[in-house]
This record gives sequence, C-alpha cells and structure tokens, in this order.
Amino acid sequence: MGCGVTKTSEFNRRFDKDGNAIPAMKAAVLIQRWYRQSVARMEMRRRYTWNIFQSMEYADLQDQIKLYNFLGYLMDNFTPSSSERKLISHIFRENEVCRDAEWERYFNYTNIDVPDIYSGPRLTFPLDMDQAADLVEAFKNKQQLHSRYVLQLLLETWKLLRMLPNINRVSTCHSKEITICGDLHGQLEDLLLIFYKNGMPSMEKPYVFNGDYVDRGKDSIEVLLILFAFLLVYPGDVYLNRGNHEDHIINLRYGFTKEVLSKYKLHGKRILKLLQKIFSWLPLVTVIDQRVLIVHGGISDTTDLSLIARVDRHRYVSALRPPKKKTPSRTNVYADSERYDEMIICKNRRGSLTFPKQFSAREGFQRRSLQDFSSTVARTLEEEFEVRRRQAEYSLSSYSKSHRILSSTLSSDSEPDSSEFDTSNDEWKQILDLLWSDPMSHDGCIPNEVRGGGCYWGPSVTEDFLNRHNLQLIIRSHECKQDGYEFCHNRKVLTLFSASNYYEVGSNRGAFIRLGPDLVPYFVQYQATRTTRGLSFPQSVKRTEHTALKVLREQLFVHKSDLLSAFQAIDKENTGLICLTDWASAIERVLHLDLPWQVLHPQLVSSTTDGKLDYHRWFRDLALKKPSSEHIEQSMLETLYRHRSTLETIFRIVDTDNSGFITFEDFRQTLKLLSAYLKMEISDEVINELVINTDTNNDGNIDIDEFMEAFRLVDKSRLERGKSLLKLMQDNQSLPQETETPQTVDSSPPQTSQCPALQISDPPALNTADSPSSQTANPPASQTASPSGSNTEDCSASQTEDLCHISVVVPPQ
Amino acid sequence: MAPKKDAKKPEPPKKAEPAPAPAPAPAPEAPPKPAAVDLSGVKVDFSQDQMEDYREAFGLFDRVGDSKVAYNQVADIMRALGQNPTNKEVSKILGNPTADEMANKRVDFEGFLPMLQFVVNSPNKATYEDYVEGLRVFDKEGNGTVMGAELRIVLSTLGEKMNEAEIDALMQGQEDENGCVNYEAFVKHIMSV
Repeated sequence: MGCGVTKTSEFNRRFDKDGNAIPAMKAAVLIQRWYRQSVARMEMRRRYTWNIFQSMEYADLQDQIKLYNFLGYLMDNFTPSSSERKLISHIFRENEVCRDAEWERYFNYTNIDVPDIYSGPRLTFPLDMDQAADLVEAFKNKQQLHSRYVLQLLLETWKLLRMLPNINRVSTCHSKEITICGDLHGQLEDLLLIFYKNGMPSMEKPYVFNGDYVDRGKDSIEVLLILFAFLLVYPGDVYLNRGNHEDHIINLRYGFTKEVLSKYKLHGKRILKLLQKIFSWLPLVTVIDQRVLIVHGGISDTTDLSLIARVDRHRYVSALRPPKKKTPSRTNVYADSERYDEMIICKNRRGSLTFPKQFSAREGFQRRSLQDFSSTVARTLEEEFEVRRRQAEYSLSSYSKSHRILSSTLSSDSEPDSSEFDTSNDEWKQILDLLWSDPMSHDGCIPNEVRGGGCYWGPSVTEDFLNRHNLQLIIRSHECKQDGYEFCHNRKVLTLFSASNYYEVGSNRGAFIRLGPDLVPYFVQYQATRTTRGLSFPQSVKRTEHTALKVLREQLFVHKSDLLSAFQAIDKENTGLICLTDWASAIERVLHLDLPWQVLHPQLVSSTTDGKLDYHRWFRDLALKKPSSEHIEQSMLETLYRHRSTLETIFRIVDTDNSGFITFEDFRQTLKLLSAYLKMEISDEVINELVINTDTNNDGNIDIDEFMEAFRLVDKSRLERGKSLLKLMQDNQSLPQETETPQTVDSSPPQTSQCPALQISDPPALNTADSPSSQTANPPASQTASPSGSNTEDCSASQTEDLCHISVVVPPQ
Repeated sequence: MAPKKDAKKPEPPKKAEPAPAPAPAPAPEAPPKPAAVDLSGVKVDFSQDQMEDYREAFGLFDRVGDSKVAYNQVADIMRALGQNPTNKEVSKILGNPTADEMANKRVDFEGFLPMLQFVVNSPNKATYEDYVEGLRVFDKEGNGTVMGAELRIVLSTLGEKMNEAEIDALMQGQEDENGCVNYEAFVKHIMSV
C-alpha cells in the first residue's frame, strides 16, 4: 500500500473539515517540482559561468606564451638593426650588474631616509613576533611599508632562502597540526581571514604556503611581505613553495610589476629586481612526514624527487627563459653561482615553452631586418606555427625527444659541453612540470597546451609516482575550485585554492587545511567579503553570470571582423541570416573558447526568427553602432583593444629600467612589433598620430600607464559611438584621477600630474576597480558535503566587519 | 498530526551547490515498484538546434569527462532544459534504480535523449495559474497570503519532500513581518529566476 495514498486521504480528511476539495498533496508536489526546476537552471547557469571565466583565463595565459614564443623566434631568426636589437635583446639579456658586491651595493637600503611623518611600521632586525603581528595590523589598516624596510626585509629573506634546500621537509611530531594554504594571488583579505580563523604562524602553528602569492589581486606586495616576515621570525615553522606566478616575466602581464611600480615609485625597480632573485630561490616542494607532497602545480611521469633535490633551483629564474649555456671555462671560477648567468654574452638560446623549435627550417632563413617583416615573414610565421602545432600533438615521448633535439642541435652550433646543457634542460623541464601541471581524468601524460607549460597527468601517473616515492597524497594548488578544494585521482590528489571570489564576488570559496599526525586533512572553507547583507545563492550566481556575460560580449564585439567573415563564408547567398548551429560553430572557430554557445545563446542573442539569426542586426545590438566611414580605424581600434594586454606586456618589456616611461622610438618599435605579431598593418601615419597624442608633456617620453588608461576607459559605449582612439587620448587628459592612492610614504619627486597609479584590469575583469564591493555572496545554507558524503558543520564566524560565513567540514574517517 | 511515514522512494536532494553525490534518504519500506518505462519505443524527434543545445547542457553536467552523467543528475539536466518532471517520474524512466545505482550508474547522451523525449511527450505540464492555484489551497483566509510556517511544514512533509535548507532557500526574503507570504508575488518572483 503506497503511503502516498494514505497521506493524501489523511490530509484530505483534514482539509475536508475546512471544506476544501483540492488535495494539498498535489499542491505540494507542484511547488516542489517547480522549485527544483529553478534550482537546476541555476546550477546550469553557474556551471557555464564558471566555464566562461576559466576558458578566458587560460586563453589569456596562452596569449602570453605565444607572445614570448614569437619574440624569441624574432630573436633567433633575424638580425635586428641597432635600434631593434636594443628593443628585443633586452628581453633575453641578463642584467649587467653581476658580482655579489655589486648586487649588495645595488640593493643597499641604508641610504634611504624615512621621513618623520611616516607612520607605518619601522622594522628592526632580527624581526620578532610582535613586529610581524604589527605588520599584519598595519596592512589591515591600509598602510604601506616604507621602501627602506621593504628592501631590508627582502634582503634578509634572500639571505635566508639561499640556505634552504629545494625540498622542505616537515614533520608533525609533537602532535603539531600543520596548516596548508593554496593560491592567494594578492588577496590580502583572504590571508587576514585565514589568520583570524586559524591563528598566525608560530612554533605551535606551522604553516605551508603553496605558491602564487602575487598577481591579479591588488595587495600582492603586502601578502608577500607578511609571508616573508613570518618566514624570518619562524624559519623552522613557515614553509613557502614557489608557484608559477613567482616569476618576473609572468608578473609583467598579470599585475604584480605594475602594483609594485605604482606603490613604490622611487624604489620599485630595485624591489622588483630583488624579488626576481628571491623568487628563484624559493623552495620547490614541501614534504610532510615523508608521506605527503605539497607542490604548486603537480607532477609528470618523469618527475623525480631525487633529481629535484639536486638542482640549482635559482638558475631557473623564469619559466619562460630556459637555462642558458654555461661557458665551461668559467664554471669553476666564481663562487657565486649567479655570476656565470650574467657573464654569458649574447648567444642566448631560446627554446619555446611547449613547442620545440624546428631546426631544419632555421638554416634556410635569410637574415633579415625587422623592417622588411611584412608579408614574406608573415607567411613563414604561419608555417612555423603550423609545424609547432603539429609537433605539439606528439605524445610525451617525442616531447622529451624533441627536447633532446633542441639541446643537441644547439650544442653542435656553438660551445661544447652539450651534456651539461642537456642536464639543465632536463632540470628545467622538471621544474616546469612541478609548477605548471594540472591533473586530468584520463590516463597518460600529455603536454599542457592550455597553459603552455608543464603537462596534464592522469591517475596512473599519480599511482606510480606515489609508489615510487613512498608517498600517500599529493596536495597542490594552481587551479581555482568552486568550493576551495577538490579531490581527484581516487582521493590521492587534492587541489587547494585559498583565494575566494577569484573570478568575481561570489564566484568561489577559498579553503585551507590542517594536517595532524594522522595526515587526514581537515578542511575550512571561507569567503572573504566585506558584508553588511549577504546575497542569496541565486543572487550571487546572477551577479557572477552577469559579469561573465559582459566580458564575453566584449570578446565577441572585438572579434567582429573575424566573426563577420566567418558568417559570410557560411552565408554564401548573402541573406544576412544564419542558423543557430552554424552561428555557434563559427564563433567557436574564431574564439576557441570551448564554451556551450547554444546554451548561452539566449543571453547573447536577442531574437531569432525560425531558428535563424540576423547577424548584422546582432552585431549592431552588440555595439549599437552604425557602420561608418571610419571603418579602417575602427578595426584597428578593435585590434588594439583586443590585444591591450599583449600591448601592455610588450611595453613593460621595452621599459627595461621599469621606469613606467618609454621613448618615442621604442613606442614606435613596439607598435611595429605588435603589428608583426598580429600580422596586421598598423600604418606609420597612425603610429605617428598616436605618438604625438600620447606624449602629453612633450618630453619625448610616453607614460605607459597613461596610454593604457585610454584602453581602460574604452568601454563598449565609446567604441559604439565610433570615437577614434585619438579622440580618446585627448579626452583622457581632462578626466579626473580615479584612483585611491595608498598612503604613499615613498618620497619620490612628483611625476607628471597625469600619471595615475592604478590597476588596469586585464580581461576577464578580476577585481575590477568598478565592481561594487558592498555586495557579497553567502554560501548556501546547506553546506557542501565533502566528497565522500561526510557531515558538514556549519559554524558562523563571530562577525567582524571583514568576515563572512565560514564553514567547517569534518573529514571522513 | 499524522505520523510521518518514510518516502516511497529516496529523493535526491536538489543541488544548490555542485556536490556530486546527494545523501540518499533512509531505506524505503518495500513498496511494489511501479512499472518501469519502456524507452525503446520512444522516437527521438528534436531539431538539429535543439540537439546541439541539449548536448551542450549535457556536457556542462559531466564532471568526470567521460561524456556521461550519473543517474542522479538526469532529473536536473531535464529541468535545466525546461522540463519539469517529478523525481518519481524520472525514477520510473530510469527503471527504478536503487540508491546505489542512482549515484554510480551513468548514462551517455544517446541514452539520455529518449528519456528526455519521453518527458517532453508526457502531458503533465503546469502553468503559472496551476502554481498559484496550488498555493491558494493554503490560503485559509482567502486574502492572497499563506502562512509561511504552514508552507514550510507542507513542503517538508508532503509529496517529494524538501529538506530544511532547500525550504530556507526557497522562502528567503518572502515572508513579511507577520510570517505571511503573498503567493502570487511569490510565484512570479521564483519564476523569474
């Protein structure tokens, strides 16, 4: 007998007393069904929003890699004229300063005066716990540490790091619980929340931080200084791993370089240079109780811890710069291993990150100057990339084989001692794998082309690795997860991510874990926001979705020319109509974002008739712009806007002394480089006009920030109105400053009044200046079950103004 | 109040967050299983556009990467695609799986399509008016409002029961200071999500 029937009749009996004939049961079912439907739709929206952000993030990363490959390609295949040489070779040259004593002079802080009015912390060394706590408090109150103390702190850190091994070994003896945190990405609020909830590092409370402390967030330097301070105070209880963002070349693009230069106008360059060294000295990996491995990215099928223990890790300054050859005669001369790096003269060899070079083609190249790049080169470039693309499809065995080809051909080309180069290439690959790899669900190990470095590794690789090294768990970070953490590979690999709201307010939680002697992780999840009222889950999904779609529409708009060609290729009769399926596949072909365009189409397309879309109208809706005679300039504008990140990166490379300014000539060369990279013509006239308009104070120098500011303000509405870029520059001069300058203690000479200290947001907009910070997202009241279904406790943190809801997950037994 | 009996079938709690495996309800008493649905006779009749749409949505729910989804996700995908089956209906379509099967068995896109078609074909559609009518049942005074508390009790004890968290999420911000809910506004609000 079904209980439903009983119930209905029971209920019916109750309601009949009131004279109501409709069964309440039916009503209840209706409501429940409809509620569940809305939840399911919400879930789908959440998922595709997530996909949008992730794919844009990775597409951006790929751009970065492509740019470097391209520049290196230029470097190797063309004899630059003297002005070009200066431009390109800067990227691949090491510093001129080389001896230890000279470094110390360069980093000397003792002649930096601290003015009396400076009210921030005044550090004395050796640091103690109180000073570290004061530092945290000061940053919480938005103070800035004076550059003198920054340099001093960094110097001490450098000295300490050089004594540390590649592999940190930690033990949970004395019943100590070790706290482990993942990516922080300059989000100071999250770090403060972790300290608030878990306590600051101390001898009773050891911490491991798993890399990616900087970039994207706006307080990277503060996060770094706090971590280093605690490292100095408790060197035996604080462990730092290197992440792929602890890399000065990556920092150029993702915001850390910009942040330091804007906060420390006078000494920023020195600070960055010192950080460059510090990053290369960060340990690579931490092992707990010889059972648990903590590494930022992951592993590959060739990862070998004993090899890793032996490398000279500081030789690998950046992932994008493979090791240079050593001239053997000099190897033994210098005690300081850094010197021979610097002593290498121009014969810098470049291997690209994922695509091994094609050497047979190399001999065939004529030496050209950059000037006559144009179509001949563009063609060859195509071929080059095609070859590389094909090579990228090889399995790992040929991947490493081609590395051998790389090294052997190079060595035959110049100095002897190729075996040494082989080793360093192997080591480089090992380090790349540690810092850049991602797990995948399929078996095997393939090059990670999405990121451009490291590999994708499968469950059997994990098994094998753990067995070989007698380990039981790998804890890594590197990937953002909705709930702050995620298990995979049969719970043998744990991804831990500590930067909440990474893509947008409400997009994800952060998490940290505690590990006791039983080595069972105990999770704490959180979401750091300034809250007054929380957003419900649907509201936060809507909000995140809104941002994602806005960014996506922007991408569609700036690719209009390519999309139009793609549509017209399909619409051969020129009806102006295209069916949805074709629309979706054309977009995917142009943008390569691997997104569910059909599912998204209601959000992107306002109307269709008979399942067909009027694409001209669609573009107009996206842009609200009528086709005009400024067509040529429009597409140039579009291109520059689309590639503004790349443009900015090139600028910052060119600006070798990190002053924030580049000369006319360099600016001109930069745009030419960009036009070659994009295989698109940027005419001399346009360049000249841009140059004239951007040099606002007529001193022959162009302020990078100011130029990029024009792009930040180029939002859709301006593009719509078809304003020329030039007009924008002119408009820009009269705009009010929009930034909040932190309490600047750097007593630098005032820069030109138009130089704003700002964070320019790269697409997709993470932490945009204009996102209102008043709204937050509350995680749903029903907490996430940990993957094995164990119970979750819900404890609300005592409310401080800076905290939101924190939940605790009880680990499975 | 009538003593509660166990639900006939374990109900998968709805996802407010991306947890893969829902906690199964306590084991049901052994009722006779209703006849499973025979899907082999269902002719799939979707347009090309619709197929692409469904394929993409299907892909969004595949968290493992094997181009399949778990049985316990099937209902959600159908709902995400605009259908509105009850859990009981979905269970019938899946052949009345056990709790274990719901969590572990997977179906690929080709297998999913006839299931979806079956639901599309079934005549059980509810409109805005139906929902309002449904809620009106609880409007004791006939003034356009229902008591929030009563609604909560009903939703948690009748039909395909909702758990407390789901009810909280549903009711958030809907009750006025007297604990009453204006149900027409209620329906409009949620349908706009």
